[in-house]
Amino acid sequence: MAELQAALGMVFAWDVLAVILGASLFGLLIGAIPGLTATMATALLVPVTFFMEPLPAISAIVAATAMAIVAGDIPGALLRIPGTPASAAYTEEAYLMGRQGKIGQALGVNLACSVVGGLIGVAILAFFAPLVADFALRFTSDEYFWLALLGLSCAVLVSGADPLKGAISMLIGLLIAMVGMDSVSGQIRFTFGISDLLSGISILPVLIGLFAVAELLRRMPEIGHTHFPPPPPVEKPFSGVGGLMWQYKAGIARSGVLGTLIGALPGAGADIASWISYALSRKLSRTPEKYGTGHPEGLVAASSANNAALSGAYIPALVFGIPGDTITAIIIGVLMMKGITPGPDVFTSSATLVNAIFIVFILANLLLLPLGLLAIRGARHILAVPSSVLYPLILLFCIVGAFAANNSLLDVWLMLGLGLLAYFLVENDFPIGPMILAVILGPVVESNFMRSMIKANGELLVLFERPIAAMLGGLALLVWLAIIVSSVRSAWQTRASATSA
Amino acid sequence: MRINDLLLGLVMALLGAVTIWASKDFPPLARQPYGAGTFPTIIGTFLVGLGLLLSLRGWQQRGALFIWQGQVTLSRTLTCLLAVIAAVAGYVLLTPLLGFPLVAPLMLALLIGWLSDGRWGMAVIVAIVASAVVWSVFALLLHVPLDLGILEEVIY
Repeated sequence: MAELQAALGMVFAWDVLAVILGASLFGLLIGAIPGLTATMATALLVPVTFFMEPLPAISAIVAATAMAIVAGDIPGALLRIPGTPASAAYTEEAYLMGRQGKIGQALGVNLACSVVGGLIGVAILAFFAPLVADFALRFTSDEYFWLALLGLSCAVLVSGADPLKGAISMLIGLLIAMVGMDSVSGQIRFTFGISDLLSGISILPVLIGLFAVAELLRRMPEIGHTHFPPPPPVEKPFSGVGGLMWQYKAGIARSGVLGTLIGALPGAGADIASWISYALSRKLSRTPEKYGTGHPEGLVAASSANNAALSGAYIPALVFGIPGDTITAIIIGVLMMKGITPGPDVFTSSATLVNAIFIVFILANLLLLPLGLLAIRGARHILAVPSSVLYPLILLFCIVGAFAANNSLLDVWLMLGLGLLAYFLVENDFPIGPMILAVILGPVVESNFMRSMIKANGELLVLFERPIAAMLGGLALLVWLAIIVSSVRSAWQTRASATSA
Repeated sequence: MRINDLLLGLVMALLGAVTIWASKDFPPLARQPYGAGTFPTIIGTFLVGLGLLLSLRGWQQRGALFIWQGQVTLSRTLTCLLAVIAAVAGYVLLTPLLGFPLVAPLMLALLIGWLSDGRWGMAVIVAIVASAVVWSVFALLLHVPLDLGILEEVIY
């Protein structure tokens, strides 16, 4: 109880509340602008959070991402252009509801279901995370090695249609993580004589390069070639929303739980949760034929799931230090910059901080209602911000942000180089998610492997001696087998189709 | 810009081979077969293997080596890429000489004016205001040492 009181005291400090409000407004702006994602909002926030205490830093990211996901629904419903990938599953449905004169109801459903889904996710996070952490206290470097490897492997498997490119993207991320002084042996690797690289490539230029600069490079050429029509006025949001939510209450609950579980899987984030919940809702619906015609049932399910997934991703991130998605990968990076290594120990050593994070989640989700309503009302103005002004401003912010962590211009070059690399990779269907997860998890995999080998005098089979380690190892090897089989099969199918053509 | 998987796979395999070569001299830990070279070698080996698999797939597809697709023209895209590279390179190279208060507004004004098809008046005003805001947040509030360049002598 005393811990809860202390946590409440930490959250309800004026600076934390101001950060939550400011970050929510920032997330609202970025999410509502088509093409700018919640991950980009997070990457742009990191340079500022670098200068904050851990709680306001995490609060800023939690609030901004929750708001960005909700705000991403607005251009989807108004213009048929999803603001973030997490809204893409139900953009058509929301837009068609708008064409039927129910635009206010569509956006109201989006908003209210996001809040409920988010709260379901927080409840599951707050209940299960400490239990799993208690269990994980028994883990040694053997289990952590396999767990991190399993996280990387799953991220590759769920990253997209082509696991081969996902695996290559992950390997590039691991290579980035190898730069600098090896934490176990002290050996200097791949620094090319640059002393600034001795401590490795800083996470900040990596994040900004991969998620902000690459996205800018993709969007900037479209300026002047894509014109958004003026959005229709939004009238009576929340009209009939209560009735709809009651009607589909089972779908909301199911999607909230499903979204949280999907979010907890490494590599699977809000967008995948949204697509799967929409598909499942259609499968279980009594009226599946109405889907795709402006029917609210799928909208209710998917918008609950994507916000629930945001909370779910924090379960492996806080308990094991294994990111559930790109956003939690960034969070882990931020925590590590502040000297906090996420893991089960955090639940005992920093229990107040963990409780405070849960309270921030609740607060951020509740804030979605008034701020989301504000966003819906002000959508016309947000969508009127010209990209020709916005993108150069984001670029300046990226440059200064990359410089800010180490006051090093080398980091700005690295940001540019990684941004260009990510741009070319994404243009050629390489997913970026596995790369950032590998940058975070690479040192975890390597250091735990080396610790296990030092303990076992280099005996590899020791990694399978403990039951949980053996189970995790078996799973990781199975996932890798699936990746290799799927890659070889795709090469085989390509050959067969080329021969028949 | 889509590049054939044949080429991309070869580049990845080459990267893997270079990684293996660069890791060969990292010493193992005492009384251990493993050391600082273990992981880079494993990563390099996988890159070679998966890169060659990607190449094989690309070779079987028998497509063009380079394809440009999308609504925007190649020249427009390349111009934008070069503009971003020039902006970042210009910032890094010029800021130590001229200082953030001169370089940032200049960079912003040029980019905004160009992207908004010559609305230079608006570009200059936005550039000055935005640079002042970024300076206030990062240099004054967060104490990030943004370079003053030649202005340092003028101010101090």
